[in-house]
Amino acid sequence: MTDDRIEKVLHAHFTRDAADDTSAARVMAKLQGALPPQKRSWFRSLPELLLDWQFAPAWPRMAALAGCAALGLIAGSAGIDRFVPLKHSARSDVTQFLFEPEPLTGLRP
Amino acid sequence: MDEQTDEALMARIAGGDRAAFDLLAQRHAGAVVRLAAHILRNRADAEDVAQDAMLRVWTNAPRWKPVAKFRTWLTRIVVNLCLDRKRRAQWLPLDNAGDVADPKPDAAVRLETDEDERQLAAAITDLPVRQRAAIALTYGEGLSNAQTAEILDSSVSAVETLLSRAKASLRRALDGA
Repeated sequence: MTDDRIEKVLHAHFTRDAADDTSAARVMAKLQGALPPQKRSWFRSLPELLLDWQFAPAWPRMAALAGCAALGLIAGSAGIDRFVPLKHSARSDVTQFLFEPEPLTGLRP
Repeated sequence: MDEQTDEALMARIAGGDRAAFDLLAQRHAGAVVRLAAHILRNRADAEDVAQDAMLRVWTNAPRWKPVAKFRTWLTRIVVNLCLDRKRRAQWLPLDNAGDVADPKPDAAVRLETDEDERQLAAAITDLPVRQRAAIALTYGEGLSNAQTAEILDSSVSAVETLLSRAKASLRRALDGA
């Protein structure tokens, strides 16, 4: 068989078949149901996420935050925290003994 | 609406547009089934592959970048699914095989009156799957060797070798018949 003949029968073999349309119709019918969720990249959807973000401040929360900051500033500048008595000093801390290494083996409990 | 390019439809599908997906699937379903049927030589498997390929288009649309033509990307999906299916089919346990597959071509092909055509169909079925894919892409899809190489993730010279070996096998089969 010559090369030309082979080319000719190959081209004839791969021409469109009526069965392809029937199969395509069946495939389309199967695709009519619910589709699976799409795979979305988190990074690519970031601009949309930021555009949808509500940046308007909530004024009651802003007022509460400012109040706390002012209170902290007053307490710090007046030195109130220095007069608070400490009930437990570091010397009476029992955990020091508990976690001391063994004198001979050096192992920790 | 039907005149929109594939790439424009893909942009809409990326936004979750079902109507655009239906339009794109309608446009390519026939070609996808035909290509898969030529590679797999089994119409039921080809329909499964076509459905799977179109679903992959839908799920991966938001990540798709129009660096290559949509048709090339879709063809690549179909060919890879076909090659995967043939590869997996070799290792299936016998119990999963179901009915014994008819080694002859499809009924539609069997009814062909042209003797050359009938013999050719049988000879193509006997080709290794990558040679069959190369033949189907070249003669069925009308792709160049470079495009076929891109889809098969191979080099142009490798595709030329595949085509040359395939045609030699077909010639032997047709001459010996």
